[in-house]
Formats: sequence, C-alpha cells, structure tokens
Amino acid sequence: MTRRAAALALALLVIGASPALAWDPFDDASGSPEPPASAPPVDPAPFVAPPPGLYYVTDTYVADVVTESGPLTTYTTTTVHESTGSYARVLDTVGTGTLSSFDGAAFNGRATLTDGRAVAGTYYENYVLTGEGFVPVSVVFFQDDAELARQRAANMPAPGASSAGPAPAAPPAATGPLPIGGCCGGVERGEIAERERRDIEPRQVPIRPGVSLAPASVPLTRIEVLRGRVVSIWLHAFAGDREIAVRAWSLASGDGGEPVTTSGTGATPFRTSWTRLAPPGSAYELVFRLEVDTRETGHRLVDARVAVSVRSPALQD
Amino acid sequence: MNALRDDRASAAVTTVVLLPLLLTVLAGVLQLGALRVAAARVRAAADLATLVGVNDQDDAELSRTGVLRLAGDAADVAREYFERELELSETLLAAPSSEIAARADIVAYPSGPSVDARTGARYERPAVRLAADVPLRTPVFGALAFQPVTTIGVLAVSSPR
Repeated sequence: MTRRAAALALALLVIGASPALAWDPFDDASGSPEPPASAPPVDPAPFVAPPPGLYYVTDTYVADVVTESGPLTTYTTTTVHESTGSYARVLDTVGTGTLSSFDGAAFNGRATLTDGRAVAGTYYENYVLTGEGFVPVSVVFFQDDAELARQRAANMPAPGASSAGPAPAAPPAATGPLPIGGCCGGVERGEIAERERRDIEPRQVPIRPGVSLAPASVPLTRIEVLRGRVVSIWLHAFAGDREIAVRAWSLASGDGGEPVTTSGTGATPFRTSWTRLAPPGSAYELVFRLEVDTRETGHRLVDARVAVSVRSPALQD
Repeated sequence: MNALRDDRASAAVTTVVLLPLLLTVLAGVLQLGALRVAAARVRAAADLATLVGVNDQDDAELSRTGVLRLAGDAADVAREYFERELELSETLLAAPSSEIAARADIVAYPSGPSVDARTGARYERPAVRLAADVPLRTPVFGALAFQPVTTIGVLAVSSPR
C-alpha cells in the first residue's frame, strides 16, 4: 500500500511538473536589473523600409546659390537640416557641360556657367510614402560647381573709357571649373569682379510676393476658410506692376493644416485643409518661400505671408 | 369573513372608479413625452438646416476678398435641408413637410455685421436664421378634449465662428 501511494505521488509530481521561470539577478546580459513587466508595445506605425537606393531625407533643398569671391563664382545649393518625411534617390551625377537625360526635369532647373555650359551637380528624385508605396513627386538638381571670372571682361572697355582706347593685355579666356591657379594675371581683381557681377547679377528689382485663392486673382494678406474645406492657395510674385513666374515655392513656416504637399512649382497651388481651429482670437500665420529666376530679377528668394482664419459653422444661442 | 368581503368590494369599486382617471393621466404623460421627442427632432432639423446653409459659401467672393460670404442661395439650401429632415419625422407632423418648410421664415445674412429684423439679434458674421411653426400630431390630447394638433415654434441661427 505504501509503495502504491508513493508511486502514485511520484506519478502526479512528474505529470504536474513545468519549467521554472526564475529571474537571475546576476544575469548582466539582460541589461536590466528586473525582468520586463510586460511585452513592449507594438509600434502603431511600423517603419516601412524604403526600396534599395532610396534614403530618408534629412536635409531639404532650399535654394540655388551663386556666390562670388573675387574672380571666383561658386554655384552651390543651400539646404536646411529638417525632415519633411520624404525620401530621395540619386538619379544622375553630371559634370560641367555634361548633358543628362534629366535636364529640364528638375523643378529648380539647372544653371549654366557664363560660357553657356551647364553646371555640374547631382539630380535627385524625391518620393513620398503613401498607402500605395513610394510615389515620386519631384526632381531636384543640387548644383556644385565653380568657375573663374571670364578674362574677356578685362578686354572690355571700362565704363566711361573711350571705346577706341587700347584694351589691356589679357591672357586667353579661362572659364572653367576649378582649380583657379594662374588666373587673372595682370588684371585688377576688383575690376574683374565688378564687371563679372554686372554680367551675372541683374539689377535688383524689388519683388513683391502675393497669395491668392485663384490662379488669377488679387493678392490677399488674410483669408478665411471653413474648417475641413480644401482650399488652393496660389503663390505669385510681382516685379513692379508686372507678375513674374514663380519657379518654385515651399512652406517655410506656419501650420499648414493637412497639405497635399508642402512645396511645388509656381504652376501648382498649395492645397490643404484645416481640421483644427486656431486658438480664439488668432490665426495661422503661413510663410511661403518663393523662388523666382527671371532675366529681370535674377535668382531671388522672397517670402510670402498670409494669415489664415479657420472658421467652423456653429449654432448661435 | 363579512368584513373581508366588504373590503374586496370596496377595492373593486375604487379601482373601477379610478382606473379611467389613471389611464387618462398615463396617456397624457405618454403624449407629452412623445411631443417633447417630436419637438426635439424638429429643432434638430432646424439646426442642421441652418448649419448646411452657412456651409454654402460664395467661392468667387472668397477668392476676391478672402472673406467668407454666404452664397446667394444659402436660404434656399437651408429650406431644402429643413424639408428633407422633416420628411424623416413625417408621421409626427400634422402637415406635409414641404408645406412647413415653405412657410418657414428663413433669412440668410451674407455678411456681417447685420441685424435680424425679426429677433433684433446682431450677427457679427454671415448667418442663416430659421424660424418656423411646426404643427405636430397629438391625438391623445385631442381625445382628452384638448387640441389634436400642437404647434411648436423653432428658431435656429448658425454662423461661422
């Protein structure tokens, strides 16, 4: 009887046994002195890895910049360190004067050197992640080039000088990318720079930005919109009393609501809607950065501002 | 035993006498509740109609001035939606919804400030005001020597804020 009881007890013990879960206080591998209380929460918006070649944009294009330092003219691109949630990939890297199949595709164009050759740089294609995957939205060209002042400027008569006077001797034209060694021998640097500036920089015509709610309408500084209603805000620029083309625009600051996109060309409006009202007595102050580049104005950046009052139909007492 | 039999008879008589009164009170309470429900639905219809009317904006004027302004047919839009909403409560109404909506006093004030000639209220922004008398069926009241139709007045004003 005792044996049977002992055998039965042993059988029950074996059947009911389970692996012991214990916490090892000296286990440094876990990295935590205590076991986790619960499983980590699931990320509600799991990260979707971009396809090969795409990378997450952390520096956003702002403008093309042409700077002069003496006889040296540098073509660069300024960026701002911010993430707009978009992606990009390199399309093509081109050298000075090299043609690319993407020429004309970039919204900011591709500048040319003073001798007419296209500047060097890189074409990028921007993508946004939608429910349907990565959708290409625009192509941008990041210029990266430099050239020396044209020596022919030294051959030109100085303002006020007699056209019949002898021109100073000058070496052959030396337009081209770096290096700059050997440039400008025998010529006043300041004089060349001044002439080159006149060649490159147009007259500083005052540019007046404008915002409207129609492609061709009067500029507005304050607009009212109904909550949730999609509105199109068109960006304009005026030189004097004449409207000039806006090459590109981007939302520089302000609560843009739920925009379709935060940048575009002058032919596309800023389309958005607001589902939230601004705090009582205030409005959303939007600042758009417009890029214009015409023969009359040159390459310029101007800011257009508009105050948006979002209103919602409501019952009155 | 006789006393018990007397009590039963007394209770029966009391019940017979008071039962109609109790039923009358009960019916009146139920009718009053139904009337309040119907009135609430009519008010909701009026509120919704004015809200939809305010949503009818003059887009051309908005593009020109940047200021919200009611479209010219905002009052008609409000009247149409008032009728549509009343159609959902047709069984409660003592008149066709189209007739009630047609008689309603609906005014759109396209821009503010403006003063309501009917109520004297001042509206700082565009507004739609609806005032209507809505006849509701109250058959129990009619059976109780009251009016079988009870008319309620509704007033709704909406404005973008």
